[in-house]
Amino acid sequence: MTTRASRFGLALALTVTWGWGCATSAYKRAGSSDDVAAALAKRGAVADRPSNAAGRPLAFLALAGAKGPRLAAYDLAQSRVLWTQPADMKARVEVGADVVIYAAADALVARDIGTGAERWRHAIDKDERLLGYTIDERTAFLVVQKGGAHLHGGAAWLTALDGATGAVRWHQTLPSANAGAPAARGGLVAVPLQSQYVGLYDGQSGEQLAQVLSSEEAATFVRALPEGLFFGSRGVFRLSPETAAGSRKSSGYLRATLPAFVRPVYWFDLYRPEQGDYSALDRNRILWRMTPSGAARFRDDLAFVHNYRFFFGFDARTGALKWAYNHPATEAVASAQLGDTLAFVTADGELGALDAHTGARTFSAKLPGEVVRGATFDAEGWAPRGGAAGAPAPLSETLSAIVWDPDRRFWDVKMFAIEELARQPGREVTAQLLKITEQEGLPPAVYQKAGEALIARKDASAADLLARVLTTHADYAENRAAPAVEILARAAGAMKATPAAPALVMHLRRPETPPAATTQIARALAAIGATDALPALRDFVTMYRADPLYDGDPTPLVAASEAMLALGGPAERQLLLYLSEEPHTVEPLRVHLRRALAQTGGVDAPARTAAAADE
Amino acid sequence: MRLIALAAAVVLISSGAAQAARKSKKAAPAQTTLVKKAAPTLPAEKLAKVRALLLGDDDAAAVEAAKALGQSGASNAIEPLIDLLSVGAAPARTEAAVDALGALADPRSIDVLEGYAGHHSPDVRRRAVKALGAIKDEHVVPPLLTALGDVAPDVRAAAADALAARKEAKAAPRLLELVKRNDAGAAPALGLLATPELVPQLAELQGAVDDNVVASALGEYIKRPDVSDGLRVDVVHTIGRLSGAAATTALIEYMASVPAKDDRPSKKEAQKIIDDKGTAK
Repeated sequence: MTTRASRFGLALALTVTWGWGCATSAYKRAGSSDDVAAALAKRGAVADRPSNAAGRPLAFLALAGAKGPRLAAYDLAQSRVLWTQPADMKARVEVGADVVIYAAADALVARDIGTGAERWRHAIDKDERLLGYTIDERTAFLVVQKGGAHLHGGAAWLTALDGATGAVRWHQTLPSANAGAPAARGGLVAVPLQSQYVGLYDGQSGEQLAQVLSSEEAATFVRALPEGLFFGSRGVFRLSPETAAGSRKSSGYLRATLPAFVRPVYWFDLYRPEQGDYSALDRNRILWRMTPSGAARFRDDLAFVHNYRFFFGFDARTGALKWAYNHPATEAVASAQLGDTLAFVTADGELGALDAHTGARTFSAKLPGEVVRGATFDAEGWAPRGGAAGAPAPLSETLSAIVWDPDRRFWDVKMFAIEELARQPGREVTAQLLKITEQEGLPPAVYQKAGEALIARKDASAADLLARVLTTHADYAENRAAPAVEILARAAGAMKATPAAPALVMHLRRPETPPAATTQIARALAAIGATDALPALRDFVTMYRADPLYDGDPTPLVAASEAMLALGGPAERQLLLYLSEEPHTVEPLRVHLRRALAQTGGVDAPARTAAAADE
Repeated sequence: MRLIALAAAVVLISSGAAQAARKSKKAAPAQTTLVKKAAPTLPAEKLAKVRALLLGDDDAAAVEAAKALGQSGASNAIEPLIDLLSVGAAPARTEAAVDALGALADPRSIDVLEGYAGHHSPDVRRRAVKALGAIKDEHVVPPLLTALGDVAPDVRAAAADALAARKEAKAAPRLLELVKRNDAGAAPALGLLATPELVPQLAELQGAVDDNVVASALGEYIKRPDVSDGLRVDVVHTIGRLSGAAATTALIEYMASVPAKDDRPSKKEAQKIIDDKGTAK
């Protein structure tokens, strides 16, 4: 059992115990839709704009490198750095109206958004543990545990600090020290508790307003967005009276349909301190926004996948790929969906934006010489225009570029790209798939995937391309390997690629052609109806029919003799009859030939025919 | 007997090679006449008996029959051998038949040998390549060049030797590629076929490939009578810079190949290098 699963299991067990034996449990009203409705009614309106008071689209960049750890504020609208300050950040930047906050080694630090100057510092005592923090306009909230071990024992509380001064406004003891980082928006603060509950608190007073019971799925995150508060883990619940009891059957629950390579991370696990900092998880996750009301739907029914250097837009209902973006060379270390724009920043300081509907690049800027280890965007509604905008590359081109990307780490993505490429129409796509089969040094699964795609396409218009690829053969002197003959032969058979027949014959005669490929060649020649291949088929069958190597598995010989029967006439039957009777022929082939000859006209038929011909 | 009769019938349809062998007798009467003049012919009765042995149940007898056919030198001895290979046989008979065709060196067997030069067994391929190399006909050159690309070193070496024996200069570029891949079997052949223009490329391989391989190629080169002694001296110096026993052996073999009375500079240089190496030791 994973840590998360065991935690959830324990929480569930405790809940059951409390539900039955503890009427005064701190969670006795958990799951009350009335309480949640009342809490949400207190939530103020949240505009679709950046959190900072100036409303500027900003990115806060955690910089590293030779100049040391620093925090920089970058104005996306003006494409310029506003300020840079030394900052030894231990966790993410959260953005308020006037300040940004982040965790340092022993304190929560606030810096002025306009200048980067330190505004205040809230110390975390040595016997305290900062479990997480957030900021909602002008109030910062932090969850602190004291005593016990991480998430076990001791006590935890939620504290509100004045955003301008850092002064404590209130403390609220939490029902458990097993608590995660909070989220807040519109005056409502959500705190995940015991992986199963979400406590809702009034941001002004600290009063507990409601508790959500996530009864069917661990609640490892809470997330505040302009369109609402969300919680969940493997999927997303939009906080509402309907989801107060955490039923996945409610219309407020949503999971995107996504391909297998996607790591289903909808948000960071707020119980895990390492995910509170910028990490690899920022580079490999799902980006999503939701509709604000009605049955929960992803915004425009789209969900996005950020996978290191790649971004994909999917129809969240069907999993159909809408677009793909391949960022050259360096990884995007951070990303965010800001409405109709996906923003990202790369490890080498490139800032970019993509149109969420098309994947077209709409913004490009660069911080020369910088190393970026993470970023927080405060740019809700930012829609860059006129930057690096242009029509997105055709999907098939982008998918091909992903497949051919020299970075060998991303085979799961490349496999997906091949799969999607195969769905695209056109001879050029077939050419790309063929090119994959020609490439040396790829994992076998990649050849397999490309080959299966070729076979499934049955693209007869590309028969000449297939034939061209097949004309290559292994040559030690030229340090050249044979193409993936087995797969290509299957494809040739499926597309009835007559132009490929001569090349297939050539491979049938080549010493390096493995038995499995030989089998497929024979079948392909039969499917194509390549009567010109009969001499080669005859030579193959006779050359190996007495070879003990085929005693165990005569499949290639059987396939070749089947092709002879399919393509040939009385002469071929006569030869096969001889081979079926000749004692040196490997026994499995003899057995097969006798049966096959009987089924296709009788064993004696060829002899009679020959006798008649003699007469 | 029914089977042998059936075999005789199916031979005609079983292989393009068999057909080609028979057709070539008709299509090239002049050549056939020449062969017939130069070689004895087996009587039809004996041929039928040998064919029966080749296609019969006794493996040992079949192998012996194939050998006997090869040793006969008879102009019609290839027919039962080609017939056997055309209907296929177990490995021992196949190898014996291929060897026998090599001994007969009849151009009519080129097609069938070319087919067996693509056999899955490296040993069969090596024998077929060797047999092709024995045939004095330009049609064997393409399959021999192809065999230089074989994955099996023995097959490549057989092809290289055959091409070198034929002084087939067009093989040199492919042989150089093999030497670049440290193929020791190609080195002597390259030495025998390399043009003066190829020698610097060969010398530049020092350090990139095994010194023994380079020495083997250059050692053969300097033994050639068509090489000027000026160039030979340069090559001797190059060999002198190579490490390993093959370099010394190349120089010693070179000196041994030069008549005692011949006092050419390259010989002196080779002697000097060997003396220096001995002193250094």
